[in-house]
Amino acid sequence: MKIRRRRRAELSVPVTSMGDIAFLLTIFFILTSNFVKEASIKVAAPKSPDVAALQQAPVSVVIDENSVVYVNGRRVADADAVESAVSAVLQRLRPEAQKAVVFRCDRSVDKSVFEPVLDAISRAGGTIFAVGEKK
Amino acid sequence: MAIARRYKTGETRVPTDSLSDIAFLLIIFFILTTSIRQITGFSTEMPAGEKKAEQQADKTPTIAVNNQTIRFNDEVVTMDALRQRLKSLRLDLKSGDRRVVMLEATGSVPYQTYYEVMAAVSAAGGVVGVVTEEKSAKR
Repeated sequence: MKIRRRRRAELSVPVTSMGDIAFLLTIFFILTSNFVKEASIKVAAPKSPDVAALQQAPVSVVIDENSVVYVNGRRVADADAVESAVSAVLQRLRPEAQKAVVFRCDRSVDKSVFEPVLDAISRAGGTIFAVGEKK
Repeated sequence: MAIARRYKTGETRVPTDSLSDIAFLLIIFFILTTSIRQITGFSTEMPAGEKKAEQQADKTPTIAVNNQTIRFNDEVVTMDALRQRLKSLRLDLKSGDRRVVMLEATGSVPYQTYYEVMAAVSAAGGVVGVVTEEKSAKR
C-alpha cells in the first residue's frame, strides 16, 4: 500500500518590515551620533572631583602622552598653528553659537607644552571645555 | 473582436531582499564609529588681554603651583584646603575681574595638578587667569 506523504506547509519568517526597522535605526544613529575623531590618540585623562557633564563642541584639541598636539584629529606643529586652526573653525560658526573647544590632554604632559596651547585657544576666542574624569 | 495580448506582462518587482543586510551593515558601522559616552570636565573662559605684574591688583587671589606644593596667597595648602578657601571667597556672587583667580605654575608641573586646581577654581565660580613665565604677565 502506498502511503501518501503529507504536504508540509511552507514556513517563512516575515522579513518584509526588517529593512524598514533597520533603516529607521540607521537614520537614528546618523542623527544622534558624534564621530570619534581621535580614537587612535592615547590620552590618560586627568581626574578631579570637581567635574560635571559637558556638551560636545565643534572643535577638539588633544595633546597625547608624547606631547603631540592635534586639532580635530589632525596633527599640528605648535601653539600658533592651534590658534589659526581653532580660529578658522570658530569663525565658520553661527554668531549665536557657543564657541566651545573641547580640550583633552594627557595627565603627564608638562606645563611647557599645554600652557601655550591653552593660551592659543583663548586667543582664538574659544571657551575651553577641559575634559577629565571623576575622581 | 477581442484581440488577445501577445505577451503576458511579467510582474515587475524591485529586489529588496538584500536591503536589510545593507541597513544592518550601516548600523554596525555607526555603532563602531560613534561615541555615545558623555564627556565630563569643566568649562572656563580665560580672561583675554595682558597686564604687567605691577598692574595686578593686590587683592587678586593667587595660586602658585610647582611639582610639589600648592600655595594659596603664599600659604602652603592641600588640595582640599584650597577648595575650602576658594569656596569661602564666594566667587560665584562676584562679577567681572573680581572673579579672577591667578594661577602661576613654576618649574615642571604636570597637567594633572594644573587640572585639579583649575577645576577647583571653576567649581567655586571663579575664572582662571594664567600667569605666564615668559612674559611675566597675566592674560
